[in-house]
Amino acid sequence: MDIRKLTRLLAAAAILTFIAAPVAIAADLTDVGYIDQAAIGALPQFQKANAQIAQYKGQLDPQFAAAMKGAKSQADQQRVQAEFQQKFVTRQRQVLGPLFARAQAAIAQVSSNRRLSVIVDKRILVFGGQDITKDVIDLVDGPGPVVPPVATPGPSSIGFVDQTQIDQVPKLKSANDDFNTWAANQRTQALKEMQGAKNDPKKEQQIFADYQKKLTDQQQKVLKPLVDQTRDAMSKVAGQKHLILVIDRSDVIYGGTDITKDVQDALK
Amino acid sequence: MRLSRAAAALLALLALGACAHQLKPDDPNVRGIGYVRVEDAIKKHPLYPQLSQLQDSIDALNLKALGAAAVPRTAAQIAQETQELNRELKAAQDRANSILRQKQLDYQQREQAAIRAALAAAGQGTDGSAPVSAMQNVTASQAQQVTAQANADFEAYQKSVIDQDNAAVRQISGQLSARADTAYRQRATQLQEKESQLGLEVSQQDAAKRLDLRMKLGNLAMSDAQRKQYRDQLAALDAREAAVVDAQRKKDQQELSAYQQQLRAQTSQQINAQAAKIHADTQAKLQARRNEVSRQVASQLQGLQPAAIPSNLPAATRGKLEQIDKQFKSQFQADAQKTIEEYQSTKSDLDAQYAALHGADGAATGAANKQVASLQRQRDDLYNRMVDQVKRDAQTVAAKRGLQVVFISVVAAPGGIDLTDDVEKDIESLQQ
Repeated sequence: MDIRKLTRLLAAAAILTFIAAPVAIAADLTDVGYIDQAAIGALPQFQKANAQIAQYKGQLDPQFAAAMKGAKSQADQQRVQAEFQQKFVTRQRQVLGPLFARAQAAIAQVSSNRRLSVIVDKRILVFGGQDITKDVIDLVDGPGPVVPPVATPGPSSIGFVDQTQIDQVPKLKSANDDFNTWAANQRTQALKEMQGAKNDPKKEQQIFADYQKKLTDQQQKVLKPLVDQTRDAMSKVAGQKHLILVIDRSDVIYGGTDITKDVQDALK
Repeated sequence: MRLSRAAAALLALLALGACAHQLKPDDPNVRGIGYVRVEDAIKKHPLYPQLSQLQDSIDALNLKALGAAAVPRTAAQIAQETQELNRELKAAQDRANSILRQKQLDYQQREQAAIRAALAAAGQGTDGSAPVSAMQNVTASQAQQVTAQANADFEAYQKSVIDQDNAAVRQISGQLSARADTAYRQRATQLQEKESQLGLEVSQQDAAKRLDLRMKLGNLAMSDAQRKQYRDQLAALDAREAAVVDAQRKKDQQELSAYQQQLRAQTSQQINAQAAKIHADTQAKLQARRNEVSRQVASQLQGLQPAAIPSNLPAATRGKLEQIDKQFKSQFQADAQKTIEEYQSTKSDLDAQYAALHGADGAATGAANKQVASLQRQRDDLYNRMVDQVKRDAQTVAAKRGLQVVFISVVAAPGGIDLTDDVEKDIESLQQ
C-alpha cells in the first residue's frame, strides 16, 4: 500500500468517523418509549377496580359523617379523619395495588425487550419515540404472571426531577409560604375594597387590575429569582451527568435518570 | 508493515476522538432530540388574547363572587351593570368569532395538506389550492352570519318577552295592591261608623242626666259653688263619653293597623306567587327559544353547500377529494358547533344575570357561578386546542429538521434543539 493511498484511506476513515458520530448519538435516542396511560386506565380490570373503590367510598362516607358528629374536639376530628383516610388508602392498595404492579412489570418487560431506557407519558412526547401501549396491554391482559426483567433499564440521556421534593428545599418552601400568606392578605384587602365599590363596575375593574398587578409584581420580585436559580441548578446538574433534557417525575413512567437529590443539594 | 501499524493506531485514535466527541449534551452535533416551550409558543398564538381575556374574566368573577355584598343597586347602577353585561356579551361574541375564524384556517390548512397528499398519490401534482378554495363554502364567516342572525333574533325576542314579563308583573301588582287598598278603606269606614254609633249610644245613655244638669244650670238663683258642682258633673259626663269612644277608637286603630299588615303580607305573597309564575313562563319561553336557536344554527351549519371539486380530475381522484372534503367539513361543523354552544352557554348565563338585574328572574342566584364554570370550560377547551396546534406544528418542524424525538413540558434543557422559535413562526403565520 503506498503512502498516498493510505493517506486517502485515513482521510476517508476520519471523515466517516466524524460523520458517523452524530448518527450514533441520534441512534441512541431511539431508546425513548411512551405509553398512553388513559388506554391502560380504560382496561376493564382497572375500571372494575375503580368502581369497587367508588362503591367502598360510598359506604365509608356515611360512617365518616357519623363518626365526625361524635367527635367533639378538634383532636378527635383529626383522629377520625386520619382513621378513615387510612381505611380508604388500605382498600385502594388492596384493590389497585396488584393491578398497578402487573402493569409496572409489563412496562418493565416491554422496555427491556425493546432496549428502552425511559418511558414517558404520551402527552409530553409530540414526535418520535416508540409507542409501547399495545404491547403493555397485551401483557397485562395475557394469562399467567408477568415477570419483570432482572436488569434495570440502561443509562438514559433523559433526566427527571421530583418538583414536589424540590419545593421542600427550605429556602424555596419559606419563600413560597411567605408569598402565599402575602397573597391571602392582598385578596382580603381587595375583597374589602370590592365591597366598598358598591356595585360600581369601573371601580371593581380597577380594584381587580390593581390586585393582579400587585400579585404579578411580587411574584417577579420574590419568586422569579428562585425559579431561575432552580432552573440553573437543574441545567448544571444535568450537564454534569451528560443528560440532554430534564422532565418532571410525574411524566416519567419508567427508567430515566433521577437527579432530584443532586438538584436539592445544589440548592442548599 | 510499520506503515500499517501506524495506520491502525491512527484509526484507533480517530475512533477514540469521535467517541469522546459524542457525549457532551450541549454539543451542536447532538441532534435527533428537540423540545418546545409550549407556554411560550402559546403566547404567540393568534387566540392568546382570547385565552387571557377568559382567564381575567374567571379571576375577576371569582374575586367578585367571594366579596359579593348585598348592596342595593340604584337605577344608575342597574343601567351601568346592564352596559357591563352587554360589553361582556359583545366580548363573548367577538371571542367566538375569532375562534371560528381560527378553526376555519386550521381546517383549511389540514384539508389542503390532505388534498395535496391525495393528488400526489394519484399523480396529479401537489397543488391543492384550487380544490381547497371550494372549502371557502364552509367558511367561518358563514357560520358567524348564521350565529349573528340567530342571536339578533333571540335578543329581540328576549327583550320583548322581558318587557312583557315586567308589564305583566306591574299590572298584577297594581291590581292586587288596588284590591288591598279597597279592602282597607272598607274596613276603616266600617270602624269609623262603629265608633260614631258608639258615641251616639253613650251620649243617649247620659241624655237624661245631661238634660237634668243643663236645666239646673239654667236656674239663675244658684250659688257659685252649686253652679261649679253642676258644671263639673256635666264635664265628667262629657269626659266619660269621650273616654269610651276614644278607647274604642284606639282599639279600632290597632285592629286596622293589624289588618293593614295582614293585607300587605297577603298582597306581597300573592304578587310574588303571580310574579314567580310569570317569570317561570318567561324563562321557559326563553329557554325554548334558546334551544330552537341552537337547533336552527346546527341545522344551518349542516346544510352548508358541499365543495365544488374541479371536473377535469379523474373520477377516482374526485371521489377521494370529495371524501376528504366531506370528512373535514364534518369535523369543522362539529367543531364550530361546539364553539357556538360554548358561546350560547356563556350567553345563557349572561342572560340570567341580565334578567336578574331587570327583575325578571328572582331565582337567578348562582348565575355568576355558572358563568365561571362555563368560562373555565371554554378556557380549558381553548387552551387544549392551542396546545394541539403547537403539537401539530412541532411535528411538522421536527419532520422537516429530521429529528427523532420531540418533547414538550421540559423543566430544563442543557442539550437538545429548541424548536420553540420555529413553532412560534408557524403559529404567527396563522394570523396572516
